[in-house]
Amino acid sequence: MSLSFGRTGVVALRVIRQLKRDRRTIGLIVFAPIVLMILFGYALSGDMSGVALGLVDGGGHAALRAHLESIKDFNILYLGSESDAEKLISEGRLDGAVLLSPGLVQVLLDASSLQISGAIAGAVQVGTSREQASLVAASPREGTEKEIPIITRYIFGYDLEMMDTVGPAILGLVVFFFTFINAAIAFIRERSQGTLEKFMVSPLSRVEMISGYVLGFSLFTLLQSATTLFVVTFGFGVPLRGSALTALAVVLLLGAGALVLGSFFSNFARSEFQVVQFIPLIITPQIVLCGIWWPLQSVPEFIRPFSYILPLTYAAHALRAVMLKGAGIGDILYPDLLALGIFFLIFFAAATLMLRREVG
Amino acid sequence: MGTQAAISARGVTKSFGRLQVLDNLDLDIPSGVTYCLLGPNGSGKTTFIRAIVRLLRLDGGEMKVLGRPVSEVNEIYSQIGYMTQHKALYPDLTVQENMEFYAGLYGLAKQKRVERIEELLRMVDLLEHRGRLAGALSGGMYQRLSLACTLIHEPELLLLDEPTVGVDPRLRQTFWDYFDRLAGEGKTVLITTHIMDEAEKCQRVGYMRAGRMAAQGSPEEILRLAGLKPVLRLWLAEPEKDAALLRAEGYEIDIDDGVVQVRLESHALIKEILAAVSPLDMRLAEPRLEEAFLRLSEAA
Repeated sequence: MSLSFGRTGVVALRVIRQLKRDRRTIGLIVFAPIVLMILFGYALSGDMSGVALGLVDGGGHAALRAHLESIKDFNILYLGSESDAEKLISEGRLDGAVLLSPGLVQVLLDASSLQISGAIAGAVQVGTSREQASLVAASPREGTEKEIPIITRYIFGYDLEMMDTVGPAILGLVVFFFTFINAAIAFIRERSQGTLEKFMVSPLSRVEMISGYVLGFSLFTLLQSATTLFVVTFGFGVPLRGSALTALAVVLLLGAGALVLGSFFSNFARSEFQVVQFIPLIITPQIVLCGIWWPLQSVPEFIRPFSYILPLTYAAHALRAVMLKGAGIGDILYPDLLALGIFFLIFFAAATLMLRREVG
Repeated sequence: MGTQAAISARGVTKSFGRLQVLDNLDLDIPSGVTYCLLGPNGSGKTTFIRAIVRLLRLDGGEMKVLGRPVSEVNEIYSQIGYMTQHKALYPDLTVQENMEFYAGLYGLAKQKRVERIEELLRMVDLLEHRGRLAGALSGGMYQRLSLACTLIHEPELLLLDEPTVGVDPRLRQTFWDYFDRLAGEGKTVLITTHIMDEAEKCQRVGYMRAGRMAAQGSPEEILRLAGLKPVLRLWLAEPEKDAALLRAEGYEIDIDDGVVQVRLESHALIKEILAAVSPLDMRLAEPRLEEAFLRLSEAA
């Protein structure tokens, strides 16, 4: 029987239709990474005291200035111009700056630390409303009509924080985790619904079936990686020096590997519940050994070879190279993309072989 | 009825460990018939069907499916429709989407796909429900959708494991009419069921027991083989006297609780009996396949 793209497409379309209708899974795919990232982000963004805040006072906001100066956690550095402020923020010497001019308040924030940015933005907000209140008290009619506009702008710092180094790897981890679990459960269902047996007695080949799944799932992997990439870069200021498309290509290849791995392992589970039991077995070792949290060099030597067979190790390495160093596809072909490709092919073959037609 | 056998099995054996599930089974199913495979639980019906589509490897014997050795059956999967007891549907797809999926799997062209889906949904009475999620259907509707999906590619050989479970009698009749129509078009329909009434609607019936064919033939042949005849029950004013009269004319008579029962060699004899006696009431009891199989398996 020859391979048919048509049949592969039919399976892909069906997988997409099913996932599209499963709102909870869609929610999980899109929002869980955001929640995870925010948790990681807060946990890793350092302590709050000693926030270095620049102040460029062009006049007109005495009350707001007084409020900012009154906050103990802020170390205020008085600057002459906006460009000075920008420069210092991008060098990592300031966490943010407030530019005051009559009728306008501008806030420049270092996007790499959400927590600190939040604290500065909050303080400006409180100061501005106080100023508003005092204006209203002074001249009731005019004060209520004129809102003080606040313009917020993010500046991306160049000093790498913990989140910057971990962020790219977490992008890989999130996609690997959810694709593995969703794929394993999808294949368990194919078995229990009897659809798998029906495929076995149809022109659909095993290769076409797995390929269809890879295609269908890729759409959701893309959606998920795009969301996560957005949160990582815009929410947490992790730099994206290379191309977003290159980063997505790495994640797609990793996702395809996770899918065939999930399909392969579904053969060893009898229920969705048992799939959950794979988490400590399959996912945790990757988290610990892939070099996200500490460098591979610090993994004990006798365990290190194990790190080098895990796909997340290569994905994390490649994503860091793309996002932090601006590497292109050519720079990560060897060993990262090659290793991810080999991993995918091995488990594609294994997953296909496990879908055996004959038993007994 | 075609000349070539749709399925022919010779000395087919299969065991799981020490359990012999198919024991030297011989079976011929001509093409263009509705064939009903009956038998108690564990008699090997489902194992046999799974062996036909090569989901199981046989230990021994020979089997041909649509003229091909069973080892090559994967080459002709597009000619086989296989409906298992698991309904093989996606509950999170609509009725229409399930149909479209299977139509796509068998490579039906777009126009053909639209026509077939329309025709089959009408046949299984789900046309109005095409937009509903399969998971929201009742058990009977789910079953009907599963059948429609199995028929989508107009298979030459249909293997249906208990297709009418949970289907109401009116629709069941529609199904049987449809199966007869398919057989009329030269297609072969193999059905397993435990409902004897259904078996009587098939052109041919096979009764499996302990991995062997205990009996096979048309329902009439099976009844004859088991020695079963129609029985005319007569309520008579003077049962003893009339019974003696009929016995004298050579009829086989029993009296049960005052009711005279005459075993008929043929239905034509009813007229002669009514000429001899005048019953107050009468009823004709046709022999049941169930009884025939019980008798045959006792004899075996």
